[in-house]
Amino acid sequence: MQIELTSEQRAFSDSCARLAADLAAGWHRGRGPGDIDPPAPDEKAWARIADAGWLALGLREENGGIGATAVDLAVLVEQLGYHAVAAPIVGTLMAAQQLQTWQAPAELLADIAAGTLRIAPVLTADLRSFAAVEPAWLLRQDTPNVGPATPPNLGPTAPPNHGETAPPNHGETTPHGHGQTGRPARGTAEAGVLAWDAAGAAMAVLPALGTAYLLADATGFADVTRAVRPLGEPAMTIDLTIPGDDALAGLGAFALSLLTADLLGTMQAALDSAVEHAKVRSQFGAHIGSFQAVQQLLADSHVLVEATRSATYYSAWAVDALPGAQALRAARAAKAFASRSAVEVCEHAIQVFGGIGMTWEAPAHVWLRRAQADRLALGDEHFHYAAIAAAEFAAASTSKSGS
Amino acid sequence: MDFADDPAAAEFRAGLRSWLSEHLAEYAHGTGYESAEAVERTHKWHKALAQAGYVAVSLPAEYGGRGLPDSYEGIVNQELAAAEAPPSPPIGHIAHAVVDFASDELKTRVLPGLLGCTQVWCQGFSEPGAGSDLASLTTTATADGDRFVVNGQKIWTSGAMWSRWCLLMARTEPDLPRHRGISMLVVDMESSGVDRREITLASGSREFAEVFFDNVSVPAANLVGERGQGWQIAMHMLAYERGPADMGWVGRLGQVIATAREAVSSGQLTADEALRQRLAAAAVDVEVLQWHVARSLANRGPGSRSEAGSVDKLLTIRIEQNLYHVVNDLAAASFVVGPPTTFANYLWSRAQSIYGGTQQIQRQIVAQRILGLPRD
Ligand SMILES: Cc1cc2nc3c(=O)[nH]c(=O)nc-3n(C[C@H](O)[C@H](O)[C@H](O)COP(=O)(O)OP(=O)(O)OC[C@H]3O[C@@H](n4cnc5c(N)ncnc54)[C@H](O)[C@@H]3O)c2cc1C
Repeated sequence: MQIELTSEQRAFSDSCARLAADLAAGWHRGRGPGDIDPPAPDEKAWARIADAGWLALGLREENGGIGATAVDLAVLVEQLGYHAVAAPIVGTLMAAQQLQTWQAPAELLADIAAGTLRIAPVLTADLRSFAAVEPAWLLRQDTPNVGPATPPNLGPTAPPNHGETAPPNHGETTPHGHGQTGRPARGTAEAGVLAWDAAGAAMAVLPALGTAYLLADATGFADVTRAVRPLGEPAMTIDLTIPGDDALAGLGAFALSLLTADLLGTMQAALDSAVEHAKVRSQFGAHIGSFQAVQQLLADSHVLVEATRSATYYSAWAVDALPGAQALRAARAAKAFASRSAVEVCEHAIQVFGGIGMTWEAPAHVWLRRAQADRLALGDEHFHYAAIAAAEFAAASTSKSGS
Repeated sequence: MDFADDPAAAEFRAGLRSWLSEHLAEYAHGTGYESAEAVERTHKWHKALAQAGYVAVSLPAEYGGRGLPDSYEGIVNQELAAAEAPPSPPIGHIAHAVVDFASDELKTRVLPGLLGCTQVWCQGFSEPGAGSDLASLTTTATADGDRFVVNGQKIWTSGAMWSRWCLLMARTEPDLPRHRGISMLVVDMESSGVDRREITLASGSREFAEVFFDNVSVPAANLVGERGQGWQIAMHMLAYERGPADMGWVGRLGQVIATAREAVSSGQLTADEALRQRLAAAAVDVEVLQWHVARSLANRGPGSRSEAGSVDKLLTIRIEQNLYHVVNDLAAASFVVGPPTTFANYLWSRAQSIYGGTQQIQRQIVAQRILGLPRD
């Protein structure tokens, strides 16, 4: 058993870190929300991303890709989180993997790998799952629909409902009974679905419809390093094949693993920066890092980061090593733990910064924003706890009735 | 013991209720600091509330208050919350510094504007090098005949951009031990040599500033209390800043619960059993906070210990930060997608453990000064 990165993976991590830092240096937060650079890289930056092979990483060689492992991808994505890179790389990786799973034509995948086709995944309005179609024949509700079915309207200034209920779908909810194999259905996209991490993307694909859509302008999004965009007009149809249960579960596991790695990088950055601040900021004639109250916040944060790192590695390893359903179970657990922990670590970091942590100018809020938005993407901790509990109680009642 | 209103309090409450039912509609847009219009709305609301006699109700009538017991501040908070009105102006702590320490002449000159909300005030305490360690502040006020000359820099000054007056802590006796060399001055922000630079908050709100003082002349008559009494006054007023009722927090939190509860029961948003229980727990917290504040206010008087404010502040931090985690989850995707209201409120809840003395400092105060644990 060898549970650390290999020397090649460490070298890859270093090279990812260098480019990620470079990309981050070219993006400016400005003086406030009205003055910030959009999270879309310019042509030159996108070309560097493509040249580094990042977009090809997860695709198989016959699809113009590199065929790297999910652990390699996690290594990359951790660095994207660490440097809060404002370029839609995670979204592209997710969309590429989704299309590969749905057996999209090799030329299309090769274009994504080369960076010439910029594409984003589509999530349901509640962000909890990949978007599907209405009517919901394609879905089977295995897990209870936890939490609010429609986005709430807390107070007069909150947005109106922007979506319909969609059953959670991380892949285990595959078609059963009617037409589960073969070609995607014709139908229309559910209301309120959003292309996620879609800054600069030309289109987003709804695999269940076999249709690629153009994208509208970005909607407001708390994470200033990513954009979400409503779908526009259909752009083209794509020849796809509905994957089997195992492949769909594996896809869910893959996507959750990327988000977990992004959360890991984000929280590590917040912790490192808070530790650095605690070593240089003095009050009462001593570095604030010498006060036990500050040490305890940071030590607890370190524990959460290390545990999240273990969870990230397990979850990414499982994508390649375990059957889809098991990988998905692991990925849910990892994403749930990382979601909760990343928010806590980012909140602690702000506390250690004090007043400056509450300013736009300081980076602390950027990490908190990214952590909170990643946390909601493909389901927050409560969503996954509920899914895990539902699966476990279902197993318990089955074995009881069987004995 | 009596948690219920006596006849006078009941009458006061009924009067406020009927005023709100008549006037609240004009302020349906709410208040805030994210834009010039929001700031204007906020100040208009404060003025209207003051004119109706519901600001600083526990402060002396001769200066624009109503001379009522402190517990009436709690009633104002409760009723504003119940009516889903915007919060009252956060001036109780500044008003107490002036009322309890300033000369009659100074009080007569500045209190009507403060309590009537016709002039905005800010609190110039924190400096880049002096946050938790406030006593290390280096802004100086040098006596020069019948005036002080102020030099230095303040930071994180809420409301400085639109303030007329600043309650400023500055060092007047550089040779005395640090706590004893600080004085409190009322500075006219329109004086020459005052330079304000806006700082944008993480939420995008623009209510913060850095303030630079370059040879600013302040009349000696604007000294609050005695020279060297600044630290004592600051501790006195921080107790009021930390007391949640004075800052309008209880009202705000009660309102958040009311809105969430209504949204769930009307079916406007759905919450599963787990989320409903978390909302119920948060509602219980806020209810207890209201009882606690009622008790704190009923017990507060001229001689009461300022450390009690730290207990209230710590309780508020815990309750508010948990509440917003629940609210975020109720908001589901709209926490991060769409208008940034929920996210901005959440960020504010994080600031609660920083301003007015951080959570760590408050815990130290409670441990050492209330529990009597040794200092290290
Ligand atoms: C929203 C907001 C509004 C504000 N409004 C005003 C205002 O109007 N006027 C004004 O004067 N100031 C204002 N402040 C400033 C506020 O009072 C300071 O931010 C606060 O006192 C902390 O100081 P600091 O930011 O320098 O943090 P620091 O003092 O540098 O603290 C950094 C971290 O170190 C910890 N720490 C420091 N010393 C110790 C210790 N001895 N033991 C354990 N932990 C310690 C702190 O708890 C914190 O976690 C405001 C701040 C905020 C966030």
